[in-house]
Amino acid sequence: MTEGTDVTTATERDPVAGTESRPTARDRLRSSFDRAGHLLAVFAGIVFWGWLLTRWLYDWVFARLGIGPGAGEAFLSPAPFEALAASLSSAAGSFGPLGVPIGWLASAADAAALGVEIGPALATGAWYTVLLTLSSLTLGFCIAVPLAILRVYGGPVRWLALAYTELIRGTPLLAQLFVLYYGLPLSAWLNDFSVVGRGFVPGYAFWIAILGFTINGSAYQAEYIRGALETVDEGQLTAARAIGLSKFEGIRHVVLPQTLRYAIPAWTNELVYLIKYSSLAGFITVPELYYRGNDIASSTLEYTSIFGLLAIVYLGLVLSATNVMGRVERHVAVPGLGGAEGRQQEATE
Amino acid sequence: MTAPRTDDGDGRTADERRGDGDERTGSPSSATAATDPLLRVENLHKSYGAEEVLRGVSLEIDRGDVEVLVGPSGSGKSTLLQCLNCLTEIDSGHIYLGDTEVTASDTDPNEIRQQIGMVFQDINLFAHLTARKNITLGLRKVRGMSADAARERADSELDRVGLADQADSYPAQLSGGQKQRVGIARALAMDPEVMLFDEPTSALDPELSNEVLTVMDELVDEGMTMVVVTHEMRFARGAASGITFLADGQIVERGPPERLFENPSHERTAQFFENISHDHD
Repeated sequence: MTEGTDVTTATERDPVAGTESRPTARDRLRSSFDRAGHLLAVFAGIVFWGWLLTRWLYDWVFARLGIGPGAGEAFLSPAPFEALAASLSSAAGSFGPLGVPIGWLASAADAAALGVEIGPALATGAWYTVLLTLSSLTLGFCIAVPLAILRVYGGPVRWLALAYTELIRGTPLLAQLFVLYYGLPLSAWLNDFSVVGRGFVPGYAFWIAILGFTINGSAYQAEYIRGALETVDEGQLTAARAIGLSKFEGIRHVVLPQTLRYAIPAWTNELVYLIKYSSLAGFITVPELYYRGNDIASSTLEYTSIFGLLAIVYLGLVLSATNVMGRVERHVAVPGLGGAEGRQQEATE
Repeated sequence: MTAPRTDDGDGRTADERRGDGDERTGSPSSATAATDPLLRVENLHKSYGAEEVLRGVSLEIDRGDVEVLVGPSGSGKSTLLQCLNCLTEIDSGHIYLGDTEVTASDTDPNEIRQQIGMVFQDINLFAHLTARKNITLGLRKVRGMSADAARERADSELDRVGLADQADSYPAQLSGGQKQRVGIARALAMDPEVMLFDEPTSALDPELSNEVLTVMDELVDEGMTMVVVTHEMRFARGAASGITFLADGQIVERGPPERLFENPSHERTAQFFENISHDHD
């Protein structure tokens, strides 16, 4: 409110700017909506990540020290929510047709009770999902960059990169996971490592899933990076070589830094995909988010509410991911390179 | 105005070299330069697919010379420059820089390119780096200079082209003329023996061309050896020690600017200068 009036007086003091940019009532309304939306998003983010981080920290550290209700147990009791749901639905019955909205509230209270109950399981699942996504994306990136460079600058051996990319992109991810999990003796080999599956270290299925997602993601990322490599003007590499850099150094110091900036939007896309695709790891018994939700749903049969809650957690992860990547893009933005500059100007207005 | 350039190959600053004038035999260190041309091209052939772009070009350029290459488009001028800088592989012939054969199989092209500065028609500043970092990249990665030394050198080169105040600007924030001046500074920072200019002003408005040409004129005054492909006849008249007219991949005629402009011995040359002067007036 006070901020709004400040803007008006500031523009009135500057008559030139005032004619151009005096905020109308509609603009003020829109900007206050924007502010409210922003605050809401920040609040939701803090609640979501606060809950996840607290949960993880508690399950790993404090529960092991014997503090609190124990690992995987809810902090709150679902009883008050259940009682609220019961009294709301009985109230809804007594109001007749007017009671329908009250019935919705009763359902919401029911879902909240369920959320409290299965929250710990979802938080553990989310941990696997986050870990799986981040490590696969990072490892996949390390393979994708040389792959894309080979594809664009490889000369006679570029077909190697092409064959890898097309083979991986051309076959279903689930089939790839099954081949790795059932078809290859990886599990026996991984079990030879005495640390796998003990203490904090996840079981072998998790490592196989990381391998699968890394291979799969590397092919997709290589294509994004290849596209971005081809966007960079040929003259950039020529100029790099003209000052005495080798072709490799030119790619490393001149072409790649520009390429990776161009590739950020597509890379964000891959991250978002991977968060949800990681649910396929559930099919090879990795206890990630989807696996947990499905597991509980098939024993309680409350599919709608459980998948609704599952969707909220996935949404929270995806929105956080796009938000972070947007920040990264703005942070590394260089004037005149890619589209980030234009979007940044909008954001700072 | 000029930064001391003690590691200039012949061990003298630009001002000392300018003082020599035409008497290059004066000091013992440059005695060889007088007898041997700095840049020598012998019977150079180059094809792109079926099209032969250079058909037996031979050329000798002495230290301190400013050779202007002119000719109709497609005559092979730019290709010749790219061959000199090993940016394009040649089919046959020889190129020598001082005593080194550029075209020898055991010559490292990266070493050659360090000694030959190149300025491009489409400028090609590194788009993700500031003006200063455009210059420091080569100093750091090729010369292995420390960050501080490279920065100092970059700033003095930017000062030399009159852009000290734009050191932190990105290419997209500079005008075309400013960008090309950074391009020249970037090449100069590597202490090249020769500077190649491939139509440095063709992409610029006449106004912006002038600021680039001024910088080039200063380089001429400092005694830099230059090979310049350009349509700027004002620069050619004022600065060139020799003009080479190329057509269809061959040198048609070569000589001092006065003779080529006033009294060319080939009809083809006369025709070309006639056309150019019409275009530019």
